[in-house]
Amino acid sequence: MLEYASYALVLFSLGMYVVLDGYDLGVGMLGLVAGPERRRQYGEVVATAWDANESWLILVGVVLWAGLPGAYAVVLPGAYLPLIVMLVSIILRGLGLEMQSAAGRYRRGWALLFGGASLATTVCQGLVLGAVLTGPHQRGGAFRGGAFDWFSPYGVLCALGLVVVYLLAGAAWLQDKTEGWSRPGVRRTGRSLLLATVVMALVLGLSLPGADPQQFSLGQPVRAGLFCLAVGVAAVAGAVAWHGFGRRPDWRPFAAVATMTASGLLGLAVLSLPVVVPPGLTVHQAASPHSSQLFLVLGVGLCMPFVLAYNIYAWRSFRGKYSEPAEIPIPPLPTRSRSLPAAPTSTGLLRTSVRRVLLCVLGILATALSQDVFGGVCDLIGPIGVTVLGCTALAAWIVGDRRDGRAGHFDAATGAETAS
Amino acid sequence: MASPDVVDLSRWQFALTAIFHMTFPALTVGLSVLLAVVYTVYVRTGHPLYLQIFRFWKKIFVVGFGLGVVAGTVMTFEFGLNWGTYAHAVGPVIGVTIGMEVITAFFLEAGFIGLMLYGDGRIRPRTMALASWMVAFGTLLSTTWILSANSWMQDPVGYEKVDGQFQAKDWIDILFNPAFAHRFPHMLLAVLISAAWFVGGISAWYLVKKRSAAQPMARRCLSIALGVLGVLMPVQLYVGDGTAVFMGQRQLPKLEAFEGNWKSDNNGYNLLVVPDTDKGENRLRIGIPHLGSVIAQDLSGRTTTPGLLRTPPDERPDMWTTFYGFRAMYGTALLMFGTAFAGVVLRMRRRLYDSPRFLRWMVWMTPAGIIAITGGWIVAETGRQPWVVYGQLRTADAVSHLGAPEVAATLAGFVLLYVTLLAIWARYIVRTVKAGPEALPTGPASPDVPEALVA
Repeated sequence: MLEYASYALVLFSLGMYVVLDGYDLGVGMLGLVAGPERRRQYGEVVATAWDANESWLILVGVVLWAGLPGAYAVVLPGAYLPLIVMLVSIILRGLGLEMQSAAGRYRRGWALLFGGASLATTVCQGLVLGAVLTGPHQRGGAFRGGAFDWFSPYGVLCALGLVVVYLLAGAAWLQDKTEGWSRPGVRRTGRSLLLATVVMALVLGLSLPGADPQQFSLGQPVRAGLFCLAVGVAAVAGAVAWHGFGRRPDWRPFAAVATMTASGLLGLAVLSLPVVVPPGLTVHQAASPHSSQLFLVLGVGLCMPFVLAYNIYAWRSFRGKYSEPAEIPIPPLPTRSRSLPAAPTSTGLLRTSVRRVLLCVLGILATALSQDVFGGVCDLIGPIGVTVLGCTALAAWIVGDRRDGRAGHFDAATGAETAS
Repeated sequence: MASPDVVDLSRWQFALTAIFHMTFPALTVGLSVLLAVVYTVYVRTGHPLYLQIFRFWKKIFVVGFGLGVVAGTVMTFEFGLNWGTYAHAVGPVIGVTIGMEVITAFFLEAGFIGLMLYGDGRIRPRTMALASWMVAFGTLLSTTWILSANSWMQDPVGYEKVDGQFQAKDWIDILFNPAFAHRFPHMLLAVLISAAWFVGGISAWYLVKKRSAAQPMARRCLSIALGVLGVLMPVQLYVGDGTAVFMGQRQLPKLEAFEGNWKSDNNGYNLLVVPDTDKGENRLRIGIPHLGSVIAQDLSGRTTTPGLLRTPPDERPDMWTTFYGFRAMYGTALLMFGTAFAGVVLRMRRRLYDSPRFLRWMVWMTPAGIIAITGGWIVAETGRQPWVVYGQLRTADAVSHLGAPEVAATLAGFVLLYVTLLAIWARYIVRTVKAGPEALPTGPASPDVPEALVA
């Protein structure tokens, strides 16, 4: 049973990823068709959370690796090229976003890089999904197919579908986060994207039995029931989103879209269980041994509530409409102005050279001490020597810092005086 | 069995992506601790200088952290992409360790980084301080897990092999393996030290250039950096020496390769070698006699260093990379130690902030820590070859079923991308540093300083 718990963890992380990073990828793509000021703002809306959102993808990867190494070892080489392109796009996306955000004003290149890389990431994720659903060629627990096996018409359809889903999530998120859009505008965009999503879902769902090499059967009552429940929830959520676009409360479309995506994923998993990678790799075959499952499920499971708790906390801290962060100048503290002590005058050449030679000898001796060179003579010389060195440095640091602080070396006013 | 080309290309790709990824944590782990400390001091004292320091280093930290995250994502997937057989074999052990890293450390960093970076003015200062500490704690925890996983591959314990798959027998043994006990403190000190050089070097640059607006910050940061270095450098050399001795016992071929000897008759210490791998000898060797024996704790000079000919040819690591990786690390370490020592002496003589030659040298030492860390990892990883899990799984048997052209294409892509990224990152640092920190407010007590002078 433990392997099902691991699989549930994988699905949960995947769901979190698709919902959370889905919206920020969608916002990125929407930025491509927005004006400069809007585009910059979209980046800022995402900047506070993309690190955390993307972490879920990493969790998907490692939980899959640790819990179902069989699936990890087949899927990743099986979709090598799209996955690498996805990783590269993720890098470029992060770069574009951080550089745009750090620049503080609109920079066309970085903003477009962020948008374009968001699109590329989404397309690649769709292709990977297509590669998994059409069943990578496998033998003996490893991938044995060719370099372009991932490419199929169904994969292209998946990519298109995922783009539409993420765009929808992005639009819903923007309604929650910004005031910029007029209500009719939001309604028009949201509803047409929702319509496109429904069409894509129908196309993908109906052509799935043709593309997927495994046999689907809805014969078992539990499976059929769960599947119908998932589809039903998705339909209701879709209706709520349809109604909610362009109306208050602004959070409702996003909640509905998230529910829709999650139940869609659940429906797909229910349909193919116990197979994780078509045509025939089951949860049981792909799972890692019992000791690892136990550690993974306990460790990750126990940490999950904390992770969710502080993610929710961080998310709540930025709740409400996005506003430009106010420039808060550094508040002042009265400074003392004192003159710096004059630098010590230089001493005679002979004394200086003697002192330097002695210091060099001392330095070499200290190096030898910390390399434990005298360990052959007595075991304790090394550790004691290192302790003495470290403590001397610490004492010099503390005493020197206090002295410099009193002398005003760290005060703004005296800093300016020395320059003048 | 995959072709040798795929193995080599995959090794290059992994090495490249790993080195690139490592340059970011090498800075951000230490910087996150610095940021947490200065923000706490600011909250407690209200001194504007500490807010200025926080805001300035935050600018460099945020981009470095973002790039580290995305480059780390690549690493997570590469285990399965290029090393599918390895992933299947060690997944039950390493996969779980890295899974714990992601859930305990990675999420902690990622969850609080948004608060720390964008929380100014939106959340309470105390919460900001807490978020900063959480980010710092997360980066340190992350280092711990990663070192645990890698150390297990260097010296695997606590497992049993079933059908070629490693299965965990004792998790305590696996997580706290003997190699971890040596390598974790070494790496922890290394990341703190490399950030300290970075901070110290840039601060010294402000002092050299006599940028008046940045003087107090530069002095304060230089003082902190050199204080940390003065304390940690001796400890690091001692811990590093212990690590080298330990790895020499567990992985003799690694020691043979990084000391650069073929025959076991040399009591000196090699500074430069030109190895000839086919003939099994050095074409050129420059060294200091007796020093090798002294380092091995025999002051009489009779102890010789074991050579690589003692290892069968199919279990030998490459001497070029291992030797020069070690020399890069150790040479830089000695320079760092000497500089930190000079810093302590200068501070005792009250000349820390006005010794132009020392400050100029400090500027050159800015990347020292990153160079040393890169060199160290090259020793650790190439010295372990031809094994990926030492003594248990050969690298050549670990690779995925891929064609050489696709790996070659992605490798070329990564080279291009990473070179560009490094250039952008370097340019960003240079620009940020040149732009300097935000101006400090001139308090009511010092109205006599004209605005133009400060700017």
